[in-house]
Amino acid sequence: MTLFFKDVKRNNMQHDEEPLSERQSLELIAQMINKAKCDYQDTGVSTLLWGGVISFCSIVNFLGFEMHITGIENVWVLTIPAVVAQVYISIQERKRKKFKGHEDSIMGGIWMSFGISMFLLSFYTGKFTVPSPNAIFLIVYGVPTFAVGFSLRFTPMVIGGLACWVFAVATMYTPFPYSILYSAGAAQLAWFIPGLILRRRYLKAKRGNV
Amino acid sequence: MFKELDPILHSQLRLAVMSLLISVKEADFTFIREKTNATAGNLSVQVQKLKEAGYIEVVKEFKDNYPNTTCHITPVGIKAFEEYVKALQEYLKVGQPKQ
Repeated sequence: MTLFFKDVKRNNMQHDEEPLSERQSLELIAQMINKAKCDYQDTGVSTLLWGGVISFCSIVNFLGFEMHITGIENVWVLTIPAVVAQVYISIQERKRKKFKGHEDSIMGGIWMSFGISMFLLSFYTGKFTVPSPNAIFLIVYGVPTFAVGFSLRFTPMVIGGLACWVFAVATMYTPFPYSILYSAGAAQLAWFIPGLILRRRYLKAKRGNV
Repeated sequence: MFKELDPILHSQLRLAVMSLLISVKEADFTFIREKTNATAGNLSVQVQKLKEAGYIEVVKEFKDNYPNTTCHITPVGIKAFEEYVKALQEYLKVGQPKQ
């Protein structure tokens, strides 16, 4: 097998009419599918960005309440530049990508619907007095995280999605402002830690492809 | 009786191209070239053969003011690829010593 692949590399697939044995054909198929799979790696940047931003805003918001700093809840405005950064990252990644995977449009649809839901939910909780709004946010956080993790068979995100829902229930029984800390925990488990894992995998795959 | 292996697919570079395209929705010509280590000329010839067989579709367009060629596998190509793999497995099954 190794000898065959060395031959492939040496010949640079120039001599196309060289006969292939059945085993070599199967090995070639497996090798090519694997090569495509190695490139089909999420960079992890978006997940890290959102995990970081939501954790940061939650912790600052909590500390602000604890230290009686007025207006600190405006820290959530940081999500606006994060959206701008996200759009920029998505455009750059799309430009750089030389292929489209089967799941790309599904994932795009999931995250886009999540973004729209979050925007509407922020508007709703700002306009009306809703009991335990953090619990609602956490329930919504869990939906795309679990869906993406489940469909891509990426266990850290499945755990992250489940954690969002567990934290949502916990939030309902925890007094404010301590309940805000659950948002930070959820952001870490749902996005930041999976983002770190994705990033490590991406860099490893990139090194392997050089 | 063994099925004859599809001569369009039973070739190193064409099989490599089809294996890549079966894994993705669509791929740029440069991506296929990088992954197969083939030269642009040779790859063009083999891509054309796959296109003529109806196994892939080739779209030429402009991306950021540069010409860009993308390829994607067709339903006919998917069926041919599946049958090819099935036939290969049949050959290998018979070739294996019985336990």
